[in-house]
Amino acid sequence: MNLFDYLTDPANWQGPGGIWYLLLQHIGYTVAAVAIAAAVGIPLGIVIGHTNRGSFLVIGLSNAARAIPTLGLLVLVVLLLGTGVGPIIGVLAVLALPPILTATAAGIRGADHDAVHAARAVGMSARQIVGKVEWPLALPLVISGLRSATLQVVATATVAAYSSGGGLGRLLITGNATRNYSEMFAGAFLVALLAIVLDVLLGALGWLAGRHAHPASKRSAARQQSALDLAA
Amino acid sequence: MNLDWAWIERNLSMIGSLLVEHVVLSLVPVVIAFVISLPLGYLVSKTRRVANVLLAFLGVIYSVPSLALFVLMPLMLGTQILNPINIIVALAIYSIALLVRSVVDGLRSVPTPVKQSASAVGYGWPRRLFRVEMPLAMPVIFAGLRVVTVSNIALVSVAVLIGSGALGKLFDLGFGSNFYTPIIVGLVLTLALALIADAFLLLIQRGTLPWFRKRAVA
Amino acid sequence: MKIKQSLVGVGLGLAALLLAACGGTTDPLGEASAPQPSESAAASAPIVVGSADFTESKILAEIYSQALKAKGVESSTKLGIGSREIYIKALQDQSISAVPEYTGNLLLYFDANATATTAAEVEKALPAALPSDLKLLKSSAAVDQDVYVVTKEFSAQHGITSLEDLQKIASTSTLGGPPELEERAYGPPGLEKIYGAKFKAFVPYPKYPPKISDLDNNKIQVATFFTTDAIIAEKGYVQLEDPQSMILPQNVVPLVRSDVAENQTAVTALEAVQGALTTEELMQLDKKVDTDRQDPAQVAGEWLKSKSLA
Repeated sequence: MNLFDYLTDPANWQGPGGIWYLLLQHIGYTVAAVAIAAAVGIPLGIVIGHTNRGSFLVIGLSNAARAIPTLGLLVLVVLLLGTGVGPIIGVLAVLALPPILTATAAGIRGADHDAVHAARAVGMSARQIVGKVEWPLALPLVISGLRSATLQVVATATVAAYSSGGGLGRLLITGNATRNYSEMFAGAFLVALLAIVLDVLLGALGWLAGRHAHPASKRSAARQQSALDLAA
Repeated sequence: MNLDWAWIERNLSMIGSLLVEHVVLSLVPVVIAFVISLPLGYLVSKTRRVANVLLAFLGVIYSVPSLALFVLMPLMLGTQILNPINIIVALAIYSIALLVRSVVDGLRSVPTPVKQSASAVGYGWPRRLFRVEMPLAMPVIFAGLRVVTVSNIALVSVAVLIGSGALGKLFDLGFGSNFYTPIIVGLVLTLALALIADAFLLLIQRGTLPWFRKRAVA
Repeated sequence: MKIKQSLVGVGLGLAALLLAACGGTTDPLGEASAPQPSESAAASAPIVVGSADFTESKILAEIYSQALKAKGVESSTKLGIGSREIYIKALQDQSISAVPEYTGNLLLYFDANATATTAAEVEKALPAALPSDLKLLKSSAAVDQDVYVVTKEFSAQHGITSLEDLQKIASTSTLGGPPELEERAYGPPGLEKIYGAKFKAFVPYPKYPPKISDLDNNKIQVATFFTTDAIIAEKGYVQLEDPQSMILPQNVVPLVRSDVAENQTAVTALEAVQGALTTEELMQLDKKVDTDRQDPAQVAGEWLKSKSLA
């Protein structure tokens, strides 16, 4: 048996259920889930970070949400609502929300106080302070939150196949059922590769945002980065 | 809704053994990772250049999905796919990838004047490390430890896809027979386990590092 | 500088993954995942009855084991071992000594090119196909085989009652079944070769409930079940006929290690069970566990009592 047998057979890449199809499904689930989580988490995080209100409750809840086993939530939702892409994306969005929310709130709250005070002194409105000062300063952290959310979702989207929703997890499930390790390996390998590629892309994006937010001081960007890694 | 609470009573021993299995599969890796990460993190923190290489390396490992790691483990260990060792080692690697970073960040967060003062009053390096640097780094390390513990507990159940998964088997059982009770039991137990483990770590942290009581909460 | 170092790290990480991938020479799925064999499986050793990972197999294993105990033979069970690939290996390395089997699929497992089609032919071909350390006891009249179904509405609308009719709709329809079906001789490959039906897509369903709801909602048009599944009658699904005998007859039969086959008490106890089992009873037993959520061991015990076998 050769590990790469499954990957190197062109027949396995085509058609519905082929690798290309499953890969696109996997990316689709990931993008949709992270986008929904970002649409909810970023505004909420800005409000919490800016007003510093409700942060204990929201951060606490979102930390507790990390403990939810996605598979359990998925089977519950699928039994209740039926199969389809909706339940899968919804469950994955729940997984993606905590890192985005915490990172955004931490980024806004952690924005350089001198800069915020200066903005207030020159007469900026609250809206302007958020939009022109806090948000650009928080951006590297927000992207870092998106990055860890994306990683978790890519990894966990494998459960979609368990509710017959496809994605790369299907290779793991079918490979396991037919005792075809080469097929399981193909699934694991592609999920890992996809995760690494997305990680590098978002990492580069974060680095660019960091340079933009802190053109003068690389060091403070780095410090903020490591604080965020912990938060996320 | 298909619910039957009496089912819990009839299957208590099975639920109990799955719970024990879950604790072992998720927490043994944390202990292993903690023991390995402390010295490794210390060494890394001493060498900036090697540190950056190693941290980026661990970043890649950390980005490999846990389920993929479960599947790849047999190749490195020569084990069978159902062997629980795969899950333990995979989660340990995963935990190390995160914890080393916490240890490095923690040690680097110790202010240089503090270290210099310790040396000035005559502390040698072992004493400085264990009496000054490590205790001061602990809040950061504990934060990492808590993240690792909670995520391990949540992750184990995914192994159901490859025929293992401890409490995750309750999801499998309930999903297969359209039966909500085991799924709810599995969800509640997993959440409870994560929260208890997290609270336990918080208690240890406060007990052993009382001077951080105020700051550690944040 | 930091970027360069980070890139080196990322490169190292990728290299490590590739190395790990290439380092593997053994097949982690190739050997039995069961424990190591014990050196001596003497006739006096307890008979461990294994089972596959589905309800009926678990009930049958419990029935066999309890019937053995009732006749004074020491026995225990090891339920839900997994697919055929796994429990056959477990039999051969002596971690179990008996397992409930189904004649047709067992024959195909050992001889993929078997030409037998009737129950009698399958029975005749089996002994020669088995490895020498495994023996079959008497097969039962009880039958449980894979069956293709469509909903009543779909059957009426497209005039589909047999696998032969599938070629009319296959190119625009989706087939659902357990993940392993995709590669089975009686799965998509057989449908295409024997009935000329090539489906637009195959969707693997590890579990029943999504398959049932997708079939009802026309997300898939054809699905496979087992003939003893209560859900078929419950939903009024139309079972498709199989005029070319693509699916082999599947009579329930105990597959045992040869040392069990030499234990006369054990053989008598198991064959009494075989004589008493019927397809109808199999369906009722399954229903008690699947629908009423009773425990397989308890269901098995009650059945044995009702037949005065325990």
